[in-house]
Amino acid sequence: MDFKPCVNIRKEWDIVGARQLGREQAKEVGFGTVDQARIATAISELARNIYLYAGKGKICFEVINEFDHKGLKISAIDQGPGIRDLNQVMQDGYSTSGGLGAGLPGVKRLMDHFEITTEVDEGTQIHTIKWLR
Amino acid sequence: MEQMLLGEAKLNKKCRGGIFLDGTLQEFVVNNSDVIIKNWLEEVTEKRKSDYTSSISTELFQSTNREFVNVIFSSLDKQGLTTELDDFSERLINLGWPLSYLTDGLQTFRRVTIDFILSQSEKIETNHFTNVLEMVDNWVDPIINSLVNEYSGNWEHTVSLQRVALQELSAPLIPVMKNITIMPLIGTIDTERAKLIMENLLEGTIKHNAEVVLIDITGVPVVDTMVAHHIIQAAEAVRLIGSTCILVGIRPEIAQTIVNLGIDLGKFPTKSSLRKGFEKALELTGRKITRSKERDQTIEKMMSSLEEG
Amino acid sequence: MRIPILKLHNYLLISIQIDLDDQTAIQFQEDLLNKIHKSGATGVVIDLTSVDIIDSFIAKVLGDVVSMSDLMGARVVLTGIQPAVAMTLIDLGIHLQNVTTALDLEQGLIKLRQELEA
Repeated sequence: MDFKPCVNIRKEWDIVGARQLGREQAKEVGFGTVDQARIATAISELARNIYLYAGKGKICFEVINEFDHKGLKISAIDQGPGIRDLNQVMQDGYSTSGGLGAGLPGVKRLMDHFEITTEVDEGTQIHTIKWLR
Repeated sequence: MEQMLLGEAKLNKKCRGGIFLDGTLQEFVVNNSDVIIKNWLEEVTEKRKSDYTSSISTELFQSTNREFVNVIFSSLDKQGLTTELDDFSERLINLGWPLSYLTDGLQTFRRVTIDFILSQSEKIETNHFTNVLEMVDNWVDPIINSLVNEYSGNWEHTVSLQRVALQELSAPLIPVMKNITIMPLIGTIDTERAKLIMENLLEGTIKHNAEVVLIDITGVPVVDTMVAHHIIQAAEAVRLIGSTCILVGIRPEIAQTIVNLGIDLGKFPTKSSLRKGFEKALELTGRKITRSKERDQTIEKMMSSLEEG
Repeated sequence: MRIPILKLHNYLLISIQIDLDDQTAIQFQEDLLNKIHKSGATGVVIDLTSVDIIDSFIAKVLGDVVSMSDLMGARVVLTGIQPAVAMTLIDLGIHLQNVTTALDLEQGLIKLRQELEA
């Protein structure tokens, strides 16, 4: 656990801020340009979900060092309405916002590890990790 | 509390020093090293008859054995692992001796030592027995661990080198003509490799400014759903960056599996051979192969000159 | 923040050189459609060489703007999508199926002319 900065998501521009910070961190950890883009895009999706559905929340970064494994953990935390049907939102092409519905399943494919806990009226926590190859 | 600790310490002392009046077990072993070494060499040589080291010359085998047993004793003398042990194992690794020679040797050594100590003891009590086992284990186990670590470290190093080597030959991109590039795929494709291939493919397409990229799968032994999925994704990505992908080298059995698995390759062109794919690529870049007129003319001239003659 | 749209004969040329936020993307969509309407352009090239992130929202806006322009009689070609961006789009499951792409501006214009002549 080296450091753990967070970015608050309140306005639309915070989405851009979060993914820019994420890209910098990914670069620092040593990810190549393709994985930097994957990480930044995943952050963009997560941050947009917070902005669209919870109104506000935060994206946190954490550098992980496990044995010879290094990675970047991205967490998206909000106290929003939660997700009623988790199976449904994890399906490709499902969208309530008129988007492409690629959001969460897309994030899962972009990252190596994906974990979601949600409680209706309590909020949602998503933890994802990308390991350095 | 203090008293209890004292009591324990006393008990321990009694156990350790109880049997041998002239000091610890260790000294006893060192003093009798000649016998132990002799027994060990006999056993190891006996064992060798039915084993992997039979290709090694007898002299080398014997000299290595002697060195080995000296290294073991020197680690006892110096109360732990030594540079001699490191040097010895490093040399054996480089010479290609199997790890089992060392581990078998050490197991034999453990047995020989224990047998010897017990045979020299006047009475066998449980305490003494445990003590002997513990002492010999404490001596032999670190050596085994260190050797195994040394060997496996060496293997891991080799594996990682091979992985890098494999990645390097993973997916070459060959620009055969202006705007046309070929990527021959050879060997099994797993997820890790597929990602690498895709990265090479896209970077190369941009670098060579390739309007058409031919992916040749002649050298891919099995195309299952996963491999097909990776290839399709690569082709889609190539389309996104603005180039066209043609899949070539589709053998009959691969065509069968692709259709039987219900994989839809309909979205991009496929050809059975690299030649047909290349012709298609020429067509897509507005070119075609023509026979040069000059050659025809030369032949005509030759024919007419023959007729004239 | 507004993205400049250049006119060249019948074509409109756009080079996106900023990190697109949602508002700018939507503003661009509107601006482009207005410009097509006003200029009667028949072809559009959107160059994405300097764009290093396209998430599902931006992808949708781009896909939509292609379909909308098509409805107004202008063909759109996307050029210069970076390899890293292409791979992320594939991971996201976004294929931009009905969109024409080209490696760079030059080839984009060639493709556009071919499509318009065909």
